[in-house]
Amino acid sequence: MANGMITTLESPGKSTVSAPQRILLVNGNEAVAQAIIDIGYDAEGYYPITPSSDAGEVVSKAFAEGKTDIAFIVATSELAAISVCAGAAVAGGRVVDVTSANGLLLKAEQMPAIAGLGLPMVLNLSTREVSGPLNIKNGHSDLYAALGWGWLIFLAPTVQAAYDMNLIAIKVAEKVNLPAIVAYDGFHTSHANRRIHVFASRDDVQAFVGPPPFKKAMAGENGRFSLLDVTHPRTFGPYMNDDLINSKVQLDQKFDRAREVIAEVFEDFASLTGRQYTCVQQYGDASAERCLVALNTAGEAAKDSVDELSRRDEPVNLVVPMVLRPWPAEEIADAIGEAKRIVVAERASQYGADNYLANEIGATLQRRGNAATIIQRTYGIGGLNFTHDDAIEMYELARAWPNVPDENEKRVKWYHGAWPGDPDYNPPATIEPIRADQCSFNVGQDGKVNLRLLSQMPPRIEKHSACPGCGIFSNLNLFLRGIDGHVVMLFHTGCGMVITTGFPLTSFKVPYFHNLFHNGTSTATGVVEMIRRFQKRGDLSEEITVILVTGDGGDDIGMDQLIGAALRNDPFIVFEYDNKGYMNTGAQLCYTGFRGQKNSNAFVGPHQQGKRTHHKDIVEILRGTFAPYIATVSESHAVDMIRKARKAQATVRAGGFAFVKTLSVCPLNWGMDEHVGPSSVEAMVNACMHPLYEIEHGITHITVDPEKQGKKVPVTEAFAKMGGAYRHLTTAENAPLATEVQAEVDRRWVRLKALAADGLL
Amino acid sequence: MDSYRLPKKDDLGFCNVLISALGGDGANMAGKILFKIGCEQFGLDGGYDARYGSEKKGTPTDVSVRFCEPGTPVRQSGPSSTPHFLTVFHADLIESLDLGRGLLPNAVCVVNSIRSSEEVRNSLKLHSGRIVCVDATRIAYESHSRMNMPLLSVLCHELNFPDAPIRASIAKQWPRAAEANLRAFDEALAGRASADFVPGDYPLTTPQVARGPIGWLNMHNGGTIDALTHSTHGRDNRVAGRGRVPQFSKEFCHSCGICLTVCSDPGGLLWQEGRMVGIDDRYCKGCMRCVEACPETKKGKALTFADNGILEPGI
Repeated sequence: MANGMITTLESPGKSTVSAPQRILLVNGNEAVAQAIIDIGYDAEGYYPITPSSDAGEVVSKAFAEGKTDIAFIVATSELAAISVCAGAAVAGGRVVDVTSANGLLLKAEQMPAIAGLGLPMVLNLSTREVSGPLNIKNGHSDLYAALGWGWLIFLAPTVQAAYDMNLIAIKVAEKVNLPAIVAYDGFHTSHANRRIHVFASRDDVQAFVGPPPFKKAMAGENGRFSLLDVTHPRTFGPYMNDDLINSKVQLDQKFDRAREVIAEVFEDFASLTGRQYTCVQQYGDASAERCLVALNTAGEAAKDSVDELSRRDEPVNLVVPMVLRPWPAEEIADAIGEAKRIVVAERASQYGADNYLANEIGATLQRRGNAATIIQRTYGIGGLNFTHDDAIEMYELARAWPNVPDENEKRVKWYHGAWPGDPDYNPPATIEPIRADQCSFNVGQDGKVNLRLLSQMPPRIEKHSACPGCGIFSNLNLFLRGIDGHVVMLFHTGCGMVITTGFPLTSFKVPYFHNLFHNGTSTATGVVEMIRRFQKRGDLSEEITVILVTGDGGDDIGMDQLIGAALRNDPFIVFEYDNKGYMNTGAQLCYTGFRGQKNSNAFVGPHQQGKRTHHKDIVEILRGTFAPYIATVSESHAVDMIRKARKAQATVRAGGFAFVKTLSVCPLNWGMDEHVGPSSVEAMVNACMHPLYEIEHGITHITVDPEKQGKKVPVTEAFAKMGGAYRHLTTAENAPLATEVQAEVDRRWVRLKALAADGLL
Repeated sequence: MDSYRLPKKDDLGFCNVLISALGGDGANMAGKILFKIGCEQFGLDGGYDARYGSEKKGTPTDVSVRFCEPGTPVRQSGPSSTPHFLTVFHADLIESLDLGRGLLPNAVCVVNSIRSSEEVRNSLKLHSGRIVCVDATRIAYESHSRMNMPLLSVLCHELNFPDAPIRASIAKQWPRAAEANLRAFDEALAGRASADFVPGDYPLTTPQVARGPIGWLNMHNGGTIDALTHSTHGRDNRVAGRGRVPQFSKEFCHSCGICLTVCSDPGGLLWQEGRMVGIDDRYCKGCMRCVEACPETKKGKALTFADNGILEPGI
């Protein structure tokens, strides 16, 4: 989360440099954000994902403070964010995006299209492993997935380079009309605070990158056109058959041109800043027999090892590529020099095949008739650090090769830092499986709810590592007390899954599956179809209720799949815990948030008053699916929640789809005391900000009517209890904003009452 | 400030500081401020790296600051595993997290504790160096500051940073809390107790590496977890509870079940055969939701705030 602690020190005042620089203490994401602000982009498409999120947050904060006029658009998904960029670029804008891992892969469909359509832009990639089981730490599997997408790829091994490469990348991209990725290591660089130099004057940056492209695009002067030129209409993105191969030849030729342009731009940048980049960094002794090739932070760390070995009179060579696309074949081969044994260390693996860079380097050397041995080592997947000690081990491996005693280390391709485990490890069971007969308190009870009786229901989940006072599991456990028999739990990505299943332990006593951020509803469909099939065949005797648990974010990015499941009327329950934000990634806005709410990417400042739009109403969105059971619940109304859980289960037992949404407080990111969760959600219910109702086969029933109970309160009363993310909405200064929220809440409440009053609606 | 020299350096020219804390303690902020002070006030270079992940409030984390003289290349990334200076927010984490591992000879350990330096030294198994104990929890409470402030103050002092520019930086960083923070700063320096230890009792140790009993030989297909053998059911979570759990008075309890409906940490309330019997103080994180929800009846209120407002965790 951006905390605004970017510090400026005095300028170093280097006389050889023609553009004055100043010093900042920033992390890699903040450096990227500073570059985005300095470049003066027209638009940023944004969707949060760890570890790149705060690169966008800092830009958003600068917007709120009036320090940039960028159009900062928070989309519903990564694919949506990059599609926003595609639209802005075809209009002639200068555009940028930031992402990591799964975010990049969700953009995948759009990526080759952007390259093929010749839309220049910069995508910052804070690298992270893409995997199941989920991991949020570093890995280059995202970066390598992009190798063949037709994007320029620049690498930034340091925080300084993360800033510099952004300036270089957009200039190159716009000169050759190709999109560019700037890849810096997630956490190792994105969250590393360093002292760096940045341009003292934004004018100098903008003079370097050149004027915004729109006017030239309108005039057709920069090799691209604008969709907005109505005086000269053009068709962008036609349907193309056999001709496509010619478009691909053009695409490849752009990379040839880019080789020249990159060299020029590196020189221009060096003359302005004194910071010289090259496509490949060669460090150490180019005539050495041993060479290590490593990207980004690993390459940077290895420089210390080269120095250390040099002090021991052991000459070694180090090659650190800074550009991957276009592939700098000649520079790589030159840098590798006389080496006989080359360790190519990669933060990824091409499973079942030789690794990515190893293959490319092998092909490059073969063309030169160089038969050096290439040893492949995969390191650091999932975040394990790569230090100078690791690099020394790599050089030691190259020295000893092929006389390596260890059987695994002897392999041409192996995993540095992996461990085998103890084959005799066989711990005893510490819990008993929950039996269906232990969970049979609800059927036949109708509306009668006896909390003392339900206390005997064994918890299906316990002992997680959530923050104190978190609302997720108070809600979920309450809901589950209304669910009888066997349960299979599916979870979307979010706090709920992270705090329960940290390997090798699980908080779930029932079967559980996490399948990414937005696919849970479709995954649940697959599960219930197999339950049906195996039961019909007589291969599965147990009756099982499938429940998908999602945060409100999962129903932004996964809204289409949620609606699909509702339309198919698949028999499972979706339980949404709405905590009004992307809390697992650092409190970015979700469409569910209230207008005016403070988020880490929707600040309150002179130019922005928090979240711009009113709260999304997923229940009313789902109304149109005519699913058999849709309801809202609140932990402040326990009896109501348990009755609705029973109805939801009865619905799926009858073969239909059920959706239940609850409010879930986030004391950490709402900025509230840990103990006030239940009373604050009660206030939200009483303010009609979260009306408790159900829609059964299209018929609306309000189950808790605060007006009739004489408990209705203004929204400001609820905001006052909801913590620092909302409290500003209770001040006199923000009264107009609170009035707007009140009007919208009232409008929706009156409409809901009208629906409930009509027997047909 | 030109006269400032780093008190310790490793082979690469860095003085390594590691801060061990729980999410929500303010350790990240302390690390960031320390790095800023070093760069701005003393012309140092280096790096500040945190072990970020999805750590939630109350889960262990650490923060690393590495200082070097200007001109030293800053190339390593990630937290330091061989600290010269260790700051410990929670002394009861020392053994479970093996915080003494990787400490360099003559290390300086600033520990939030009311125990003696000798006791802390023994739990850290410190090879050699100095233990400085400060009752940061009490000082933070009494001065209306946060725990990171007294610890930062003692750490800066041990790094030989002169007090005046540090006090000025702190006052400038948080103008509204300046008085409370400076009071915490001064009280920490006045109230600290330290002792130096020579080698002999404990060997030097190598840094921790990730090596569990489950590896590529025996991990289940796709990383699946066996819930029966690998449940969090027995988890000891006292650290995150910071020693605060609600007080349960059985005689006032009707077992109405309302506490169960609000408990944020299912498993924290102990129920048997339909009756509330107590709090699992190994697990409850002390959010006090149940205290707020527990009804006041004619007999009284069964769940109340404990009267021990301040405790050193684990003691």
